[in-house]
Amino acid sequence: MGIKPNSENNSSTGDDIRLKSGREGLMGWLNPTRYGWERVSYWLQRLTGVGLLIYFIGHIYETSSLVNGINAWNSMLELTQTTGGHIFLLLVIGASTFHTVNGLRLIFTESGIGIGRPGRPDYPYDATSLNYKQKSGIWVALLLATIAMLYGGMVMFGDVT
Amino acid sequence: MPLLKLRESQIMKIHYLTGICAVFFVAIHILFRLIMPFGQSLEFHNVVANYHNIYYIILLELILVFISIHGFNGLRIILLELKQNQWWESTITILVLAAMIGVIAYGTRTIIIGSQL
Repeated sequence: MGIKPNSENNSSTGDDIRLKSGREGLMGWLNPTRYGWERVSYWLQRLTGVGLLIYFIGHIYETSSLVNGINAWNSMLELTQTTGGHIFLLLVIGASTFHTVNGLRLIFTESGIGIGRPGRPDYPYDATSLNYKQKSGIWVALLLATIAMLYGGMVMFGDVT
Repeated sequence: MPLLKLRESQIMKIHYLTGICAVFFVAIHILFRLIMPFGQSLEFHNVVANYHNIYYIILLELILVFISIHGFNGLRIILLELKQNQWWESTITILVLAAMIGVIAYGTRTIIIGSQL
């Protein structure tokens, strides 16, 4: 018959239970097997957000050395105004540009701007969550982040002011 | 009962508004670093001179408040996506609010002392 014995029904692992209840936690976030551009954008928005918050707190701490006088300020600059420090700052520039542009796209999405009208689902069903305008927004965010990093690199490593 | 008597939709509007304002204010903040060669703009006397400009002080304080609200609320959203129950939501909200107030207080202290150097 179709009914399984109790011993087989109770064989679910903790992972199965978490998956069935829809609570995958951090692993659900990081699972790369379901990545489309939407998911890359979702993940990058959170990653850059957390990174920028950490940088923001570090920047406030770094700047607070100002109140201890010129020597403390110069000591802090010696730590941060290095090649490694500039490369880190380039990552911050890229992260902040992506986070800003993609964040604006998300505000438009939540306001219903640029997502188009709902249409009748016709066969063959094309399962997409974003239309081309929204997807191109992700590309624009990545492109602008790259351009901002290039300009930042020229300011920090070159003669551009 | 929710800890804050704000609907999530209202909190999200605050999140978006603080984000958009922060972009404009941070852009001005960065421009102050680019009006002269980058390294020179970070010299002690140039930075202290910035802190004596009342408009720049107001700008710094606004950046501090807006980014703190936006950043810590973003962290709260991420943590609430990972797990949902009343205890977790209240605990995260309290911790995030405490951290936000701490960062704003510490940053404001720097701005006040810096403006008196």
